[in-house]
Amino acid sequence: MTLADRHIPPAPDALFDAEEARRARMKRIEGVAKWLLPVLVLALGVLAWDRVVVWNDIPHYILPGPGLVLQTLVKDWAILFDALLVTLQITLMALAVAVIGGVGLAVLFTQSRWAEMSFYPYAVILQVTPVVSIAPLIFIYVDNRLAGLLLCAWIVAFFPILANTTLGLKSADHNLTDLMRIYRATRWQRLRYLQLPSALPYFLGGLRIAGGLSLIGAVVAEYVAGTGGIGSGLAFRILEAGYRLNIPRMFAALLLIALTGVVIFAGLSFLSHMLLRKWHESALKRET
Amino acid sequence: MTALTLHLAGRASAGDRPVFGPLALDVPGGRWTCLLGPSGVGKSTLLRLLAGLSGGVRFDGQMAASDGLPLAGRVALMAQDDLLLPWLDCAANVMLGARLRGLAPDPARARALLADVGLAAEMRRRPAQLSGGQRQRVALARTLMEDRPVVLLDEPFSALDARSRAGMQDLAARLLAGRTVLMVTHDPAEAARLGDRLLLLTGEGLQAISPPAAAPPRRVDDPATLALQGRLMVRLMAA
Repeated sequence: MTLADRHIPPAPDALFDAEEARRARMKRIEGVAKWLLPVLVLALGVLAWDRVVVWNDIPHYILPGPGLVLQTLVKDWAILFDALLVTLQITLMALAVAVIGGVGLAVLFTQSRWAEMSFYPYAVILQVTPVVSIAPLIFIYVDNRLAGLLLCAWIVAFFPILANTTLGLKSADHNLTDLMRIYRATRWQRLRYLQLPSALPYFLGGLRIAGGLSLIGAVVAEYVAGTGGIGSGLAFRILEAGYRLNIPRMFAALLLIALTGVVIFAGLSFLSHMLLRKWHESALKRET
Repeated sequence: MTALTLHLAGRASAGDRPVFGPLALDVPGGRWTCLLGPSGVGKSTLLRLLAGLSGGVRFDGQMAASDGLPLAGRVALMAQDDLLLPWLDCAANVMLGARLRGLAPDPARARALLADVGLAAEMRRRPAQLSGGQRQRVALARTLMEDRPVVLLDEPFSALDARSRAGMQDLAARLLAGRTVLMVTHDPAEAARLGDRLLLLTGEGLQAISPPAAAPPRRVDDPATLALQGRLMVRLMAA
């Protein structure tokens, strides 16, 4: 707009601009609130916890206050960090094995109806049987402690990847399957260029669930078996601290486990976003 | 590239339900044939049979190209759905056929074809970042990249707005000239604009209708084309 135009009243546009500005402001406020509200809830929760402990004079071997838990986390950092590394190692290895096993079985199932009919029910049985009840048996028959832990964590974590990836491989657009036929693509090419990319969003959804489950599997297995021979993980530290009534350390270890779970989830969500942001509905920004 | 003439005669059925026929269809080589008809008469099935996609439909009869060789591998298909792979950018989508055949892709040619359809700047974009009309132009560029003598079009422009549709019709008519084109459409205006040869498929069978004198793509306001469009509409409504 030049200076000479200034006297013309900017009639209907002004309305739109006000509306747009209002919408942009709401969006900014929502963006801040998304982070601020959970932090506020956390702060209030911790404050309430602290007050309950102080006002009721609760002894630290029953319920330690948040300050003491933090102190313990710092004081016992060397022990806890070593334990975290052990648990993290088992979790990540189990997740890797779950990815290989889950995707491998899913590809096998979609390539062969017979294989799917034969083995899928057993995958379901493995999934629905609580791992706590299988774990003691596993540690009787599997001598290698690490292999036993991995097996337990894998049983818990592989199923969401298998189920989601199988669904994804079968969900390739029929029209695109026809296109592959017109291009005379081989079975392998159809898998590589159509089915696997189509399954990626489903796989990533399963992976996010499996990330949390492999941590749960690793912790549960450690509870059952201990980690003799490969160092002590966080679950073992919690058990040990419980026997010694070292409740603050139990809380500190628990905090680390929860944080690990959140970091794994956030990391996998980020990976998912990066892989899908340019093409998949779930990650595309609507331009409206 | 030799212009192939296609010939199909027979009937199709799905289970014990007849889909179309018996009928005899001739698609002259190097010309643009429009197959018009109400929905449900088997137009798309006919096209898909020629494309080698039977999809559970049984065809009794013969299907042949003028040189006597099988059609498989010599047809390209453009459908209402753009059939682009959403995870590949435009250039990779255009070069998909070469990749599947294990040949070295030719990015220079892909770039030239995308420029031909007016998408030089969109090379690196994914289909989700394009408009419906732009996606169909990518599909057209891919069809040209494939360089097949026979091009089958299954209502490729029916999801576009009137203006983009007319633009796409001009573009397709120009770029597909010299190929044997069979286009299935339910739009009398489209058939009247583009057909060298017009066929109406109804429950009774196939009827040929003589096209206007002007060469396609005919002007959208050409009186003879508009008159034919009206006559086609009347026939369609009576079918």
